[in-house]
Amino acid sequence: MFRLDSEGVILRLKFKIGDIFIVILILLTAVLTSVKSLQGNYSTKIAVISQNNTVLQRISLNDHSSESLYIDYGGKYPGTIEVNGGKVRFHQAECPDQVCVETGWISKPGQIAVCLPAGVIIKIEGENDEFDLMVK
Amino acid sequence: MKKIALNGLLISLALVLSFVERFIPLNLIVPLPGVKLGLANIVSMFALFYLGISSTLSIIVIRCTLGSLMFGGMTSFLYSLAGALFSLIAMSLLKSGYDRVFSIAGISMGGAAAHNTGQLVMASIIMKDAAIFAYLPVLLITGLITGLFIAFVSVYLFAIFEKTKIVTFIK
Repeated sequence: MFRLDSEGVILRLKFKIGDIFIVILILLTAVLTSVKSLQGNYSTKIAVISQNNTVLQRISLNDHSSESLYIDYGGKYPGTIEVNGGKVRFHQAECPDQVCVETGWISKPGQIAVCLPAGVIIKIEGENDEFDLMVK
Repeated sequence: MKKIALNGLLISLALVLSFVERFIPLNLIVPLPGVKLGLANIVSMFALFYLGISSTLSIIVIRCTLGSLMFGGMTSFLYSLAGALFSLIAMSLLKSGYDRVFSIAGISMGGAAAHNTGQLVMASIIMKDAAIFAYLPVLLITGLITGLFIAFVSVYLFAIFEKTKIVTFIK
């Protein structure tokens, strides 16, 4: 067997000063982009479902009924989207990876759920019609 | 001649690793498109450090092409190629400061972040929608962890490979 406790391994596992800059840069980018995408208080939430840059449907998420609304989409990998009580998700999909279904419910403006194989994206957009209350 | 054989071997190894990766359900922990360990990057790291950038480029392009022919399709080819090229550019730039400024861990983490960025750029081009960048923060953070993991594996692999004396480390 090879011995792995050679000096070479230990030497190469040592962090260098530049590594800290890489980590800080990546973390900073992550924080800044997440702050930008998830800010704001919105009075109206709309789920926009599009496939290959064509909007299939725009649904208001403010109607908090407990009855589920199902939207089907076609294409190479068809599937169904479920809207329920201000939340939206991929209910079932025929894509190979099932990542879209595992993403689960989304409900906040700025959040998205995507099925890359099917080219379907669900975006939640926020709109504000109560500016006076917001600004104060 | 030996180099061509080694390149072929590495391509097949990368293909096997990207296939094996499908059985590691990292998606159950972070269920977002693009989240994976990136085991094939061990091969890219190795090629970059022992064979040079031109070999690495040919290995990743052939790996992406064959991988998409076998398990994916045209779109998966574009996603994986964008990620691989972005990470190769980042890693070869960082590698120029290897040992003085950056360690293998830093190069690998930078490569992972560039990989995820490249995939999102390609996704936003294909879907014609920049909203996909909402995934960037989570992908960057997971990339830090997977990049670190790949770096550790690579360092141990390098140590084993050096004992075979087939190739030498390029600084």
